[in-house]
Amino acid sequence: MAFDDLLEDPVIQKYLHELVGPKGMPVAAAPPDGEVTDEELAEELGLELNDVRRALFILYENDLASYRRLRDEDSGWLTYLWTFEYEKIPEQLQSEMHRLLDALEERENYEKDNEFYLCETCGIRFEFGEAMEFGFECPECGNPVEAMENTRLVDAMETRIEKLRDELNVEHGQEA
Amino acid sequence: MAAAEAELNEDERAGLELIRESGGIHQSDFWKELDVSSRKGSRIADALADQELIQREETVYNGHNTYYLTPAARDLDFSLLMAGDMLSPFVGDDEVNAHSDTFSQFVMNLAYEE
Repeated sequence: MAFDDLLEDPVIQKYLHELVGPKGMPVAAAPPDGEVTDEELAEELGLELNDVRRALFILYENDLASYRRLRDEDSGWLTYLWTFEYEKIPEQLQSEMHRLLDALEERENYEKDNEFYLCETCGIRFEFGEAMEFGFECPECGNPVEAMENTRLVDAMETRIEKLRDELNVEHGQEA
Repeated sequence: MAAAEAELNEDERAGLELIRESGGIHQSDFWKELDVSSRKGSRIADALADQELIQREETVYNGHNTYYLTPAARDLDFSLLMAGDMLSPFVGDDEVNAHSDTFSQFVMNLAYEE
């Protein structure tokens, strides 16, 4: 099996699982060396051909597999020869880290800039403006809403933002 | 990858270590720090980039064209994409929505795992 070292990383396994789902995972988790057809994979893994094709297509859409087509001269049938391109995974995860960093920065600003109220009965959170509009009563159950601290959220985001910036070598405010 | 690293000479190994430790360095500082000539520094960076042990990007620094050298993406700590056992919800998604329910869940996980 190719790409052993990458596939040992639990985050990479999780990433592939997220993309192809549980049914596609046997395909995604066992990339063969060199080219392979969908039929060969189905046979080898004991899977439905449709599940194999679906997983391959998702990998293709995410730039982690490519194919070339061969036409059989006699039958006219097309054969798809697939190549797994997992060497791209680290760079894709790097860009996922940048996207996560952007979102955390945006969310942290929002959490810092707003005051929140919580309905403890329904577990719904309201911004100050919304809470005021409802007369500080939950529109679902009518119970009063209470001011809610979000320091713990902000601190947790701040910690992760710093780690990501450090790991990605991003200066503060360089990404907006 | 381990194989490529095992075959590095002493200078290349020192260069790789410097790039990993700094997290990123301009090529014009790289050879000075390594205490080698600029030509040798450039050869070392070439060799490391050819073996995909580092990433190299063209940039302008102190008014000169140079390269910015960073460790290969595979050296990054991908666990920073996780909150508890939840992966960043933006993976495999075109849109990044910092206010979605799944991202709220991710942030909650962050707050209560740490």
